[in-house]
Amino acid sequence: MIALDKARKVFGQGKPNEFTALYETSLTIEADRLTVIRGPSGSGKTTLLSLIGCMTRPTSGRIHVLGREITSLPERFLTEIRRKTFGFIFQQFNLIPGLTALENVILPAYPTGERRSSLEKRAAGLFDLFDLASKARSRVEWLSGGEAQRVTIARALINDPAVVIADEPTAHLDSKLSREFMETMGRLKTQGRTVLIASHDPLVTDHPAVERVFHIRDGRIDGARP
Amino acid sequence: MIFHPLILALFTASLLTGFMVVYASVFGAQILRRWDLRSGSELQLGLERKTYLVSTLLGYAFAAELLSLALFVFTADRIHGFFVGAMCAAGTLKANAFGYPALLLKGTNAILAGLWLILNTADNKGSDYPLVKTKYRWLLAATPLILAEIVLQAAYFLKLDPDVITSCCSTLFSQGGTSLGSDLASLPVAPMRVLFFSSLALSAALGVVFVRTGRAGVFLGLSSAATLAVSVLAIISFISIYIYELPSHHCPFCLLQAGYHFVGYPIYFSLFGGAIAGLGVGVLQPYRKVPTLSEAVPKLQKKLAIAAVVCFLVLAAIVLVEMAVSQLVLPD
Repeated sequence: MIALDKARKVFGQGKPNEFTALYETSLTIEADRLTVIRGPSGSGKTTLLSLIGCMTRPTSGRIHVLGREITSLPERFLTEIRRKTFGFIFQQFNLIPGLTALENVILPAYPTGERRSSLEKRAAGLFDLFDLASKARSRVEWLSGGEAQRVTIARALINDPAVVIADEPTAHLDSKLSREFMETMGRLKTQGRTVLIASHDPLVTDHPAVERVFHIRDGRIDGARP
Repeated sequence: MIFHPLILALFTASLLTGFMVVYASVFGAQILRRWDLRSGSELQLGLERKTYLVSTLLGYAFAAELLSLALFVFTADRIHGFFVGAMCAAGTLKANAFGYPALLLKGTNAILAGLWLILNTADNKGSDYPLVKTKYRWLLAATPLILAEIVLQAAYFLKLDPDVITSCCSTLFSQGGTSLGSDLASLPVAPMRVLFFSSLALSAALGVVFVRTGRAGVFLGLSSAATLAVSVLAIISFISIYIYELPSHHCPFCLLQAGYHFVGYPIYFSLFGGAIAGLGVGVLQPYRKVPTLSEAVPKLQKKLAIAAVVCFLVLAAIVLVEMAVSQLVLPD
């Protein structure tokens, strides 16, 4: 379970460009479910995901992830949580050009010190799962948009995270690939992972696998479904 | 005099350390009054973020404090040529009333700085800032001493007058005089030799016991403090005369010079290193049961205990070698 307790985020506090990206927000995201944060561009979706994923700290308020309070943790502990608890899927795939798909996928697991042979074996399983086995040794700049998207999903899963976070994942995908992506997210949910997606794409928000939608606008949660 | 590069370096280091310590003390007072990990207030989250930065900067400041002790003694030794009568740092420090008090405070503060660094290292290993209040209490206690040291050091260097005829170390640390140095030099050699090696052996043994069993941490701390005091007396009483091969020369500073192969540096480094590491084991002992430190503190203590044992054994080895190769023959 992920719980926000009066979390608030202000950028440039005390400066002329001060901007409140997220006003005091309290919400609970249940474990093992597929939840969507829906809102227009600039509404605070990415800020909310960044706070939950330990990518940034709130200005005030606390956040609990899987029973652990994360906002007070010193940076060195957050690194471990980011690595082991979360898998991230970004809007811009953020794959590293010049490296192969396989190297990109195993990259987040490198700092764990696990043997490369073991990492490659685990990555091979993910490549099979996403029908990418033939592309494992291809450099990522040679991949199509759909293939690159699946590589980013494989990369998000390499450390077997309990929570998968996706920020506008279908922004660069056509309708067919968007539906495929949501099918994949649905499967991850049935495997027992918590999936959290920020999007304003109806193909995402209205997908049958989605169990809960929070509406956000101007930095405030203004509704939820169901 | 004040524009000597070493003195300027000491001034700069002191001013930076002083600024950091005062800034961190003001912040530390806020931590002691307002810290509440259960709160999600903006103030609390700000304190959590800032303590990480302040502790890191303070870590560098205290590392500089440790080094500045060595630099202060080195500087006092290097500038002895400016003063009539001075042969080493002993004479330079005697050139005005502030030299020895400054040295004493620098030594005390170096130990406090070392212990604060150990506390900070332990605190950084806990996920819930377990020693945050403790380390800022230490800081607030040490701040007046550090500021006093800065003032004394400044007064010492600013009031140095090359026209003053100062005393040579043979006078300051001669037997039969009335000064404190003379009293220390007059300590009997044979009992001091036994006391010195016994205290080293006891501290090293307690260190080994701690590494093996995790017990006797407080005793190791106390023993290390006693070893530091006994060793300083022993250096003046008998170690010096073996190094100089002169039964009447008890100076604790000449052994820092090239003529004696700078042997004083490894002696003092191993002594202070062992003492700080051993004291650190004792200081950390109450925090072994803190839930978020129950794994990290015993590991850190073990490393410190090993460091203390190694330092004390190195010190014993240096002194034994110096005694063995010395041409000095003392009457039984």
